[in-house]
Amino acid sequence: MYAIKVRQFRKRYGDLEAVRGIQFEVEPGELFGIIGPDGAGKTTLLRALCTLLLPDDGEILINGLNTRHHVADIRQIIGYMPQRFSLYQDLTVEQNLNFFADLFQVPEDERRARLEQLYRFSRLGPFKKRAAGALSGGMKQKLALSCALIHTPDILILDEPTFGVDPVSRQEFWDILRDIQRQGTTIVVSTAYMEEADLCDRVMLFHQGRILALDQPSALKAQYRFPLYRIEADHLPEMQTYFAGLSGVRFIQRFGDSLHVSFTREPGDDLWQTARDQGLQRFERIAPSIEDIFMDLTTREEHESVEH
Amino acid sequence: MQQILYLMWKEFKQVFRTREMLSIIFVAPMIQMLVLGFAISTEVKNVSLIITDFDRSSTSREILRAFEHTDRFRIVGYESSYRGIDNAIHRWHAQMAIVIPPNFGRDLQRGLQPEVLLIVDGLDGNTAGVALGYATGILRQFGQMVLRQRMLARPDAAIPVHQVVAEDRMWYNLDLQPEQYMIPGIVVLLITIISMLLSAMSMVREKEIGTMEQLMVTPLKRYQIILGKILPFLILAFVELGIVLVVAQFIFSIRIVGSYALLAGLAFLYLFATLGLGIFISTITQTQQQAMFVSWFFLIFMILMSGFFIPIENMPPLLQKITYINPMRYFMYIMREIFQKGSTFPFLLKDLVPMTVFGLLIFTFSVLKFQKRLA
Repeated sequence: MYAIKVRQFRKRYGDLEAVRGIQFEVEPGELFGIIGPDGAGKTTLLRALCTLLLPDDGEILINGLNTRHHVADIRQIIGYMPQRFSLYQDLTVEQNLNFFADLFQVPEDERRARLEQLYRFSRLGPFKKRAAGALSGGMKQKLALSCALIHTPDILILDEPTFGVDPVSRQEFWDILRDIQRQGTTIVVSTAYMEEADLCDRVMLFHQGRILALDQPSALKAQYRFPLYRIEADHLPEMQTYFAGLSGVRFIQRFGDSLHVSFTREPGDDLWQTARDQGLQRFERIAPSIEDIFMDLTTREEHESVEH
Repeated sequence: MQQILYLMWKEFKQVFRTREMLSIIFVAPMIQMLVLGFAISTEVKNVSLIITDFDRSSTSREILRAFEHTDRFRIVGYESSYRGIDNAIHRWHAQMAIVIPPNFGRDLQRGLQPEVLLIVDGLDGNTAGVALGYATGILRQFGQMVLRQRMLARPDAAIPVHQVVAEDRMWYNLDLQPEQYMIPGIVVLLITIISMLLSAMSMVREKEIGTMEQLMVTPLKRYQIILGKILPFLILAFVELGIVLVVAQFIFSIRIVGSYALLAGLAFLYLFATLGLGIFISTITQTQQQAMFVSWFFLIFMILMSGFFIPIENMPPLLQKITYINPMRYFMYIMREIFQKGSTFPFLLKDLVPMTVFGLLIFTFSVLKFQKRLA
């Protein structure tokens, strides 16, 4: 049985179709990433998984239970961490944890061990008595995660948990997620940081309410057969215009002080020669990152929608 | 059940952690009560009075003495011309002037009907009207006294006057003390504010900071969330009621004539309406600021249409009809009845029934509107 099964899920807000009839499954014990930019529909999807939203169409099964009918049962087996930090800032770390333990009716004897464990991995033990509002961004996220885990859920659903957190804390947060996963918890996590895709077992590339691709990150990269080059130049904007004018270019994307350009076919020497005249400094063939693949797929989608 | 207690416990912890909240709940009402109780007064005292006596007889002096011997008026000067009066009133020096015409005493003795002129600054219409009432009262008493004296002096003379004398007797509020009337009203205002405003704010705050979303994914049922959120404010409203009753008794020496138990019971029924409105406001607003605005909109409407300041009988007929949908109107009335008359249950039914019906309607509607899902 799948941990999560989504069938033809569709959700609209007025004229806007936030999720357009998508279908996927999450295996038990998997660390499943939903990758997409802001506005892709990630939050809508995750809220629907948590029974907070009902599908307009299709259905969602959590451990085989339909979100339409088994709301209370599902809420007992999932832990949800919303996008915004949403704990009681005026209560202490300990009070927040105890409050959620109370609401989920975690038995007293189990609770002590669980809190001990959560304090250990989150390293929040020394800050028990501190008001949640006075914690740093990274610590707040760890507290929110701890609260979502207090009732030892089978499935953990996290909405952009590392958003706005510094890189060191982000790394630490992902290490914690791996630990939780090792204990057998299924994790669904959304993020707008493409590089975090590599930390997931499988990722779903999500854009404008549609699934662009779904596979292991390594498989996605291996499947990408188009030549991709990293390019440095005197004037990147001019270079960008130059490549944009060529046929056979799949996408161009700026990465800091370089451009990533992907071609339908391996470009000939004459192309590079002309480019040099335009100010090209250096070029090298590179392996695609998830971000490159995402770029390629969204560019493709836009072309198609223009043609339609 | 237990989970409701946890929610309530959390709510209290939050309330008692924030000093602003504590002062809203405990200090502000005291101040409001003291300020409103002392300031809102329909009584008029110390009206500054100018005297112009063209007569200077023993009769005119007798009239003036009557004005001196009351604390309603304070004599601020004597003028000998209309121009002087005009000036004094214009400069806010005096609010009222009494002019006794020449030969007033002699005319009165002759049995003519000489007139005394009262000039009042009509800018503050309420004070002017009340002051005028006092003054005519004094003059009327004086007239009756003169009449009696004359009857005694000439018992044989046929005096063609058949007077009907009205005797005033104020029931329930013997001295027409304004506090007697205002304090119960203020009590109503305070418990309305605390139950409606604070419950709305507290629920919207959960929405604003996102914890509502977190609460919603717990296995808590909708009724558990609602009860856990509003019961603390129900309790606080009763604590508040206790505090203001103590203040009323010890500072304003207003003793409630009726039954405390009845008062508490009816307050409970009234709180369905206000807490229901609190929930309703929280469902139509997203931020605490919006909730504050909407709450005040409701509050102003409820207060103005409750008969707190403006007697409902003085309103245009259409507005009078509108007041029937205002739960505060009924409770205001009930409160004053219990406070001053000591009315018992059967006498209050005609207000109690609509109040309870509206309260339960508002409450049920709001609870149904409060969804455990986001959309």
